[in-house]
Amino acid sequence: MVAPVTPLDLGDDLGVEPFAITAPVTGTARGPRRSPRWGRGLVLLVAALYFIVPIYAALDFALQNIQGHFSLAPLTQITAQPGFAAAVGLSFRLSVVTLAIELVLMVPTVIYVHLRLPRFRRVMEVVTLLPIVIPPIVLILGVLHAARPYQWISSSPYLLAAVYVILAMPFVYRSLDSGLGALDLRTLVEASRSLGAGWIATLWRAVLPNLRSALLSASVLTLALVFGEFTMAQLDLWTTVPVWIYNSSSTDPHVVTAVSMMFLLVMWLVLTLIVSLDRTHRRAKGPSR
Amino acid sequence: MTTDDLLTLAAATTDAPVAGAPLALVELTRSYGPTRALDRFSLDVRPGEFVALLGPSGCGKTTALRMVAGFERPDIGQVRVDGVDVSGVPAQKRDMGMVFQSYSLFPNLTARDNVAFGLRLRRQRAGVRRRRALELLDLVGLAEHTAKFPHQLSGGQQQRVALARALAIEPRVLLLDEPLSALDAQVRGELRDQIRALQQRLNITTLFVTHDQEEALSLADRVCVMNRGRVEQIATPAELYAHPSSAFVAEFVGVSSRVPVDRRGEHVVIFDRDVAVRGAPLAGHVGALDALLRPEDVRVRPADAGNGVVQHRVFLGASTRLEVGFADVVLKTDVGSSDANRFEIGTRVTLEMVASDVLVASRRIPAAALD
Repeated sequence: MVAPVTPLDLGDDLGVEPFAITAPVTGTARGPRRSPRWGRGLVLLVAALYFIVPIYAALDFALQNIQGHFSLAPLTQITAQPGFAAAVGLSFRLSVVTLAIELVLMVPTVIYVHLRLPRFRRVMEVVTLLPIVIPPIVLILGVLHAARPYQWISSSPYLLAAVYVILAMPFVYRSLDSGLGALDLRTLVEASRSLGAGWIATLWRAVLPNLRSALLSASVLTLALVFGEFTMAQLDLWTTVPVWIYNSSSTDPHVVTAVSMMFLLVMWLVLTLIVSLDRTHRRAKGPSR
Repeated sequence: MTTDDLLTLAAATTDAPVAGAPLALVELTRSYGPTRALDRFSLDVRPGEFVALLGPSGCGKTTALRMVAGFERPDIGQVRVDGVDVSGVPAQKRDMGMVFQSYSLFPNLTARDNVAFGLRLRRQRAGVRRRRALELLDLVGLAEHTAKFPHQLSGGQQQRVALARALAIEPRVLLLDEPLSALDAQVRGELRDQIRALQQRLNITTLFVTHDQEEALSLADRVCVMNRGRVEQIATPAELYAHPSSAFVAEFVGVSSRVPVDRRGEHVVIFDRDVAVRGAPLAGHVGALDALLRPEDVRVRPADAGNGVVQHRVFLGASTRLEVGFADVVLKTDVGSSDANRFEIGTRVTLEMVASDVLVASRRIPAAALD
């Protein structure tokens, strides 16, 4: 763990660079007291086992043939599974549409609340928690009932995207809220406007680039939610990836587990990629305030 | 970098100096619920003039500045630039350069890109933007820091980039909203000199908001002292100090001590001496009076039979401020620091009036007497 670095303004002001004081690395001064380190190691080990054992078990099961021997066949058979490609395609389209609606709706809203209605933030927090508090089955039955008279939407898979927008709202709101909380938004906006930027240019050039981390984490959370949601898709009778996995689990459990593992891996890779992109960016621009 | 260096640099920039535009605030009024932030506030700023809005917090000075910038709208009144009412013009179309109190640089842009931000919005070509940004960063003494991001710059450096950014768009009016208040004392002094040198060189009309009287007096051509949304006095710093128009100005600008006085004809009696009244004739004042004494209006001498007692001493460098208990009041006066050892706490002193006239105000009833 890197110790926090605090830039110190020493009022040097005519050309001398500000410098930083690095806190002493912990541990060296505490030589003889080793027990906390063991304790930490133990906690880490238990936590690691908690996550790794189920994944290992699933991976082990995924790489077996019907006879129970090690085999790569389940992996190679994934793409040949009936309905698989269609399910992935649908989930992908849903995630893109959900993300687009989510960002278009939430980004201006949260910025507006921060800028003009700061007292409304508490209300927003409660409102955006509702999708978590209301059981998914209640939500989807309500949505299906409400959408029934409108054939064009009730028969479209994108009704699910509309529901996912609501489901993802708590996560997206919180990401954006904390991202904006770290900025002096009002001053940034006013500085940009005084320099001649209209509202759109201000949003595009001054605000969004500084919300990069928040937007990335909101996007990742939304994607993970869409690719993992089962109840709503099942009740709305659309075969998204989780529904396909559930339906196919009786025919070939090994392949289905292999598919689950593959998605886990893909999500992990996407996350790693996004985090590393963000890190590279931060190294260039420094920590956000 | 010294102020002279800056002037040389400013002179070396290829662009013509920014021409200052006259600015007029006409009867600006703004209420927030029952509170009047601005109450028929009027101010004329001449082209190229540097005017400071000075007052305690909540006096409306920031509201007035934000109305000029276009971030607030007056309920009544106009903001005129070059004779044209801009009250209905949105902030982004007003061509006002503004430097904020808090650090306002875009964290995702380098110093150079921050300065070029306004030029980019004005669709200037990349080469022009780059050249102008470098010139301005050079002007504020940051030529070596152009590629740095805001978090890599100190507070003072960030404010200088913000100043360069505001100047880059060649604004008609420069607005400074307490740009020095977040900085430590030494940096504040340096940047203060730098702002003044640049403003004079570029001849740009400037409105500067501050609650710090020292800043206002040292920077501005004229100072507008505000209280409760109104103008108390608009005058040059020297005029403001020597001839405050009201008790509020006298007490807010510089140091004043209130001493109860009695009338004797057209004079008031201070330390057994008749002293003329400054400004309005004494007949205009009703009821009991206080005199408002500057430290230099009074001279003290140690004397065993003196009527004052030194209660407190503060070393200020060349001079030392004494707080002298006299009757029921405390009076502030200065002595040379080399002389200060004659005025230990508890020393009895005589007080003598040296000023030829004095400002008077209606007597303020001490809070204790109201209980």
